[in-house]
Amino acid sequence: MNILAQLIVSGVVVGMIYGVIAFGYQLTFATSKTLNFGQGEALMLGALVGLTTINFLIGQQIGAFAAYLLMLPVVLAFGLMQGAVVEFLGVRQAIRTKSEAGWIMATIALGIIFKNLAENIWGRDALRFPSPLPEAALSFAGVRIQPMEICIVLGALALMIAVEIFNRRSIYGKAVVATANDRDAAGLMGINTRLVITFSYALSSMAAAFAGVLVAPVTLTGATMGAVLGLKAFAVAIIGGLSSGVGVVVGGLILGITENLTGYYISTGYKDVPGLVLLLLVLTFKPSGLFGSAAIKKV
Amino acid sequence: MKRSLFAIAILASTALTSAAFAADTIKIGLSGPFTGGSSSMGVSMRDGVKLAIAEINKAGGVLGKQLQIVERDDEAKNDVGVQIAQELINKEQVVATLGFINTGVGQASQRFYQEAEIPVINNVATGSVLTHQWPDAKANYVFRNAASDTIQSVMIAEEAVKRQGFKKPAILADSTNYGQLGQKDLTDALAKMDVKPVATEKFNIGDTDMTAQVLKAKEAGADVILTYAIGPELAQIANAMAKLGWKVPMIGSWTLSMASFIDTSGPNGDGAMMPQTFIEAPTTPKRKEFIEAYHKAYGGDRMPSPVSAAQGYDSAWLLAAAITQAKSTDGRKIKDALENLQTKVEGVVTVYDKPYSATDHEAISANIPVFGLVKGGRVVPAHPEDVAGDKAVRIKPKS
Repeated sequence: MNILAQLIVSGVVVGMIYGVIAFGYQLTFATSKTLNFGQGEALMLGALVGLTTINFLIGQQIGAFAAYLLMLPVVLAFGLMQGAVVEFLGVRQAIRTKSEAGWIMATIALGIIFKNLAENIWGRDALRFPSPLPEAALSFAGVRIQPMEICIVLGALALMIAVEIFNRRSIYGKAVVATANDRDAAGLMGINTRLVITFSYALSSMAAAFAGVLVAPVTLTGATMGAVLGLKAFAVAIIGGLSSGVGVVVGGLILGITENLTGYYISTGYKDVPGLVLLLLVLTFKPSGLFGSAAIKKV
Repeated sequence: MKRSLFAIAILASTALTSAAFAADTIKIGLSGPFTGGSSSMGVSMRDGVKLAIAEINKAGGVLGKQLQIVERDDEAKNDVGVQIAQELINKEQVVATLGFINTGVGQASQRFYQEAEIPVINNVATGSVLTHQWPDAKANYVFRNAASDTIQSVMIAEEAVKRQGFKKPAILADSTNYGQLGQKDLTDALAKMDVKPVATEKFNIGDTDMTAQVLKAKEAGADVILTYAIGPELAQIANAMAKLGWKVPMIGSWTLSMASFIDTSGPNGDGAMMPQTFIEAPTTPKRKEFIEAYHKAYGGDRMPSPVSAAQGYDSAWLLAAAITQAKSTDGRKIKDALENLQTKVEGVVTVYDKPYSATDHEAISANIPVFGLVKGGRVVPAHPEDVAGDKAVRIKPKS
């Protein structure tokens, strides 16, 4: 019983990370029907910028926890900026020319450029990220969890709730909904849809950068850390549905937990298989995702 | 027509000038990953080689000529390694090549040296197959001065079962060739001692969560974890064990001495043990001299990978001795000289007294490596009695 609980707890932690990254996919898809395939690289850049910042702050005799908190706004601002750059360089042109695939190539290309850039700045070794919280695990009824892992779950939920509230309550949010429903009509109503899309990209990369600094203390930081996570999160976005915020959280949890359960009860060699099988099943039977509403494209 | 004649003239003149230039120095190729996950090994190996070459040149070079290193970053990628091999052979026309950190890169690149009859000394890569990739070939141009996986897996199994008396080992290996071949070697070595691993688990490069693997080993009642993987993932294993509040010894291949394992696992990695041909400790005057020269040239107080640095250094001296003996830069003659080396080469790892023969291309025998132990961010001898007194220099037995 303890083992099952332990596996589920660890799965939830990993799943929440997948969820936050997938949440970023969902943000841009809602406004522009495009995705940033460099989302994993946005996460990696966020983590590395966070690493440099936190090391600088710790060098200024600031405690690890305070340094981590002070580092967060820097990373979030960097994420916003990085997302806007991706939109400006890779997506805007494709949307204007109504290109079907241009943005795919452009965001993948930008992702590769960001990765090479990071390799040149931070090197290609995996680096240790200072943990803001004690690393000794806490034990709850035999289930062990690191304080930072609790932080990951709470932080991920907090970020997603904050963005959702912002989207639903603020005037900007109304613009997003309008743009998501009908971009042309929204434009005619005086909404600057281009700005809305830019902002959704900024938010999306901000979510990824935040996920990066959340996961960094329990893993390692490096130029290649984003590749696997970005891909897994993409699977999560498909499973959960690209139009639903709840969907990506549930999708993330499903993937994180099945990975761990398969690893333990079947074989660690097949850890990644059930997630991908699930992905295929969802694509076959409910292409809009488990929580997605079926989109009917009228031509 | 005129233009093509002109092109031929240019080609001919460049060929002449490069040949004239090449005559002044003896070019030696150097292939290793200087960036990426295995770069700590590649860079240390390169620095060790450079140190030796500088000493050789200072003492007058070889055959009255200076040695010149042509170094290329193979990025630990097989295809890049192949390109580099072709470039070094055809364009740079090296007389021999030192290097290869990654077994896969070595396997893919060596074919070209074998065909061109140019000797290669593997100074870090450990895959057992490397020195006998072409059992039917008339001559073998591939040599090694690193502890092969056959030696290492037996050492790991014996250390765990015989010396420390563990009965229930669990094997954790990554899904690469290195990890899976090592896992097979380990299982075989254990089987010879009638021990069956209680769990054999696998993980991918870049996996961030090892909970499932470590839990399985724990629930199977493992009393020791044997590893075959590289630094970052090994650190994840140590960290996952600490998280689950379970501590059993970790014994594994020499990669447990990688800086990326030691630095990223921190206190969780303390106590990990691995076979080492060289431990950064001044146990002999030669070693003391080497360690001081290394830090004087490259700074710092800890080599990123002491084993790679020492083996790199030794490989350059072995090659220089062979070229001197061959009195020629012809690949066949250098190979023959390596197989029948008359001079004793005093290296950092050991004293090489006839290290190779026509049938044996392994300079490191099973008695040479000792176990190292991670302690406070450094690798120290696990059993100080193993390196005490006259056991400090272990020499390959005469066949």
